[in-house]
Amino acid sequence: MEAVLGQVEQLPALLAVSRSALVRDWDSLTLDRALEWARYFQHLHERFRARPQLREALSRRLRRSQPCPLLGFPALGRCPQLLGLALLENRALPPAACRRLLRSLLQPPGAGPGSDPRGLPLLARRKAAARLLAVPRRVPGPEPQLQAEARLLLSRLRQEEQQDGEAAGQLRWRSGVQEEQRAGEAAGQQRRLSGVQEEQRAGEAAGQLRWLSGALELLPQPRAFGVVAAALALLKQGPGAEQVGDGDRDGSSSPEGYQESAAGDGCTAGLLLSWLLGNQERFSAFCLGLPGSHLAFLAGHYPQLSRSYLDLLTGWGRHLHYDPLQGRWVKSCLDKAELSWEELRERFICLCQRSRLLKEQTQAALELLRTQDGDFKVRGLSVWGDLLMEVGYKCVNTKAT
Amino acid sequence: MDCGMAQDTTVPKLNFEYWLDKAVEWGQATTLESQKDVCLHLPQLQEFLHQLYETIKHLVLLDQRGKLEKQSQQGPTAAIQQFPLIGQLLGRLCWNPFVIGYDESQKTLMWCLCCLYSSEPQNAVELKANSWIRSLLCHLLSSSKWESNEAETSTFISALGYTSADYYCHLVKNMVVSLVTELRENQFNGLSIQENISASRVNAISIFCVPLITLPDLTPLLETLLLYHGGSSKEVLSSEFLEAVNEAFLKKKISLPESAVFSLWLRHLPSLEKATLHLLDQVFSIQLNSLEEVACVIKDSLLPQAASHPAIFRIVNEIFKNALMETDGTSEVMTIIKVFTQLFLLAYQNENKQPKFPLKAYFPYHHQPLVRSLVRRPFELSTAYWSQHVKHISDMLKALVEDTNVSSLTDLFEIWFLVACFGEWLDIAAEQLLKAAVEPDPVLWLLAFYYCPKNENQQRTQTMVEAQAVYNHLMMLFSCADLSLKDLEAAVRRVTGIEQCCNQRLTMHLLTNFLLFSSGGHKIAQECIYHITEITDTSKEVYNLLIHTAYRLNHSGEENQRTVKLMNELLQKLKLKV
Repeated sequence: MEAVLGQVEQLPALLAVSRSALVRDWDSLTLDRALEWARYFQHLHERFRARPQLREALSRRLRRSQPCPLLGFPALGRCPQLLGLALLENRALPPAACRRLLRSLLQPPGAGPGSDPRGLPLLARRKAAARLLAVPRRVPGPEPQLQAEARLLLSRLRQEEQQDGEAAGQLRWRSGVQEEQRAGEAAGQQRRLSGVQEEQRAGEAAGQLRWLSGALELLPQPRAFGVVAAALALLKQGPGAEQVGDGDRDGSSSPEGYQESAAGDGCTAGLLLSWLLGNQERFSAFCLGLPGSHLAFLAGHYPQLSRSYLDLLTGWGRHLHYDPLQGRWVKSCLDKAELSWEELRERFICLCQRSRLLKEQTQAALELLRTQDGDFKVRGLSVWGDLLMEVGYKCVNTKAT
Repeated sequence: MDCGMAQDTTVPKLNFEYWLDKAVEWGQATTLESQKDVCLHLPQLQEFLHQLYETIKHLVLLDQRGKLEKQSQQGPTAAIQQFPLIGQLLGRLCWNPFVIGYDESQKTLMWCLCCLYSSEPQNAVELKANSWIRSLLCHLLSSSKWESNEAETSTFISALGYTSADYYCHLVKNMVVSLVTELRENQFNGLSIQENISASRVNAISIFCVPLITLPDLTPLLETLLLYHGGSSKEVLSSEFLEAVNEAFLKKKISLPESAVFSLWLRHLPSLEKATLHLLDQVFSIQLNSLEEVACVIKDSLLPQAASHPAIFRIVNEIFKNALMETDGTSEVMTIIKVFTQLFLLAYQNENKQPKFPLKAYFPYHHQPLVRSLVRRPFELSTAYWSQHVKHISDMLKALVEDTNVSSLTDLFEIWFLVACFGEWLDIAAEQLLKAAVEPDPVLWLLAFYYCPKNENQQRTQTMVEAQAVYNHLMMLFSCADLSLKDLEAAVRRVTGIEQCCNQRLTMHLLTNFLLFSSGGHKIAQECIYHITEITDTSKEVYNLLIHTAYRLNHSGEENQRTVKLMNELLQKLKLKV
């Protein structure tokens, strides 16, 4: 087993090399060896996916061997494609090796178990399908591309949750046994033990956040926001809607698995939200970039988000002042005020149309602010009062969702 | 090794220029006309690409053997010499998503590209070619340098540990779900339509789906399109789409829910016609061992179930009628029609979902009481009542036919066809003659009508007379335990003699039943049938007759084991002759 673990450690290195200029020295034999390794890793994946403890051991070893633990156990399963496509894109690969690569990618010698002979042609076909079906959408919601990226992000995060859950579970189990064995131990040691667990969990959470940040930074910021928004929306559309094709989620068919995955979803959402809300500038840019209706949807489902969003909106609202000559609200300091009156109003209306709870929350907040401003119900004196009037008018027939 | 000899192989004449012109004309298939044109040519193009690949592969292999020569040229060079513009062709086709999305074309294209890649580029041109091939493959499989937004996505996804395979799997599924939702929300619900989708949009979507029909991800969209009804009365789906779906369904490359298939046939007549003709071909090609097999094939085709829609039933019936006339009433077609009608009745009577159409919708021009009698399944009545029912049918039929209004041959044919479809009652009639105590004349008349409907020169009357003679002859011998072939000579001679065809077949029918159901007949059955089929060319007819009887016996739970055993023996022997 130790030998296998040692081999698995090589996976990140293999993939890294395949993307680097080091391949310029490869010949066909080297390439064959690399592909053999890839198939071997896939074989390991098939053997161990149904055996949680061994799988966990492999995952841990994999993560240890990477500075930033991006690859998990499922990466073993798709190693041939990862390697193949990485090499295909790597221009440093010399012609002889490349030819060998092309032959084996597109004409697999004799489809062994676990290899999918239809793999690459199917990919090309789907890619063409994506171009054909890219008619302009009329259904509201995030674009399919964002949704696809969001699904992949979610399933990756879920793997992390699953592994952490299992790791934490094992840790708890082990510490529980130890406690039983030392039945007469002082309470202090117990507290220390649980304290260690807490630290461990906090440490893991911080690590995950770093990882998530790193991954999202690979996308241009507007797109990253779109992906996160789509992911948060998907989480609320119910479980079972997103399954990665090759069934990475083992054990999720049992009722306990279902509950665990629901709890896991909560953790995933929490992680995404802490990324969003952790940085004020980022959150502000996020809210500016997304349309009001979409934000309202998310605010309706995530209380932390609705609170922060409201705070943000009220912050922006403070930068408006009333111009009696023009008879309307205008931005006072142009570099700090992000939204115009109309945009602000539209966003508040979206919030109120979303759900009864959200409407009450919003109105309560606005009323409080109006009270602070003197509680005048006359136009032009308090931006909050005016907003309340507009919102109240527009949302008379709100449909509670 | 003399490589000169190997050069002798003739390169098959490929219509290269034609396809290159087409590829140039299509461009990236952005206009409606080019899209429709591509769709029409996809199967032939795939065939051409396959042949092209075989040719280049052959050339490349030849060349590699030729490495011994001083001026050893790389494999790909030979291919390029043969087809100088091959780069243009492949390049253009790779940018046509209709071509890439179709069936196996993308696989063959990529193989061709592989072939042209040289492992030892000798000069700058070959290096450039290599680079171009790699770019094309990247364009097809991962992120392309020509599409800027793909690069960002690709980096992100590989950071997560996934490949473009995962990404596009999800992406296509999402797009399908999105389109399905949009279409379903726009169904005409009888009140008002919001006109969110225009007919041209649905038409465009249906065209985009044509190459993707056999891609499993698309099945929900195919189903939704087939069931889609906008507000307009004109067909909104493109005919290329409907034809292509039908083809794929008939070749069993896709599976669709029944409702979608029925909808397809209801809205596109050529598809229904093709499906019916395909069924006829299928049944003709199988070795007729038992009617159960035929029934299985017909049921799988979904046509009997679809025929619950009267429009479909009538069209299928017409096609069968034509087939019957074109083949001069050959027994195989008649078999198909009979089994089809039985299965149709089964589906019709079991249908309890929607309100059923009245029988008149399926048989609008016929005498309804006759239709109702024929539609009754034998198992619905007790066996004691069967002969009465047969008499009832016969009487009605006689009244209809001998009425002076039925003068034209067409009308006569229509009535005859109606009766022939419900062949069960005819078989029962023949059996009842021998097994039960019946008044023979009406039954004989029914059989005479079936085998000889026309009566301009009194053929039917004559047949009737002779049938009576045969019947009397056979009834006399029915209780005899010991029979010899000589006793049946009179009847046998009618069959083997060069007489009217109608008499021959009717007599054969009566004779066969006699052999199967009388105690004396069992002993000489084999001998008699052998004798007859030796002399005349009727093996197929007899075989057919026996198959039908076997089917009925199996389904009616015939208790007489000897009969069943004899039946099987006869069938075995005859099968070798047919």
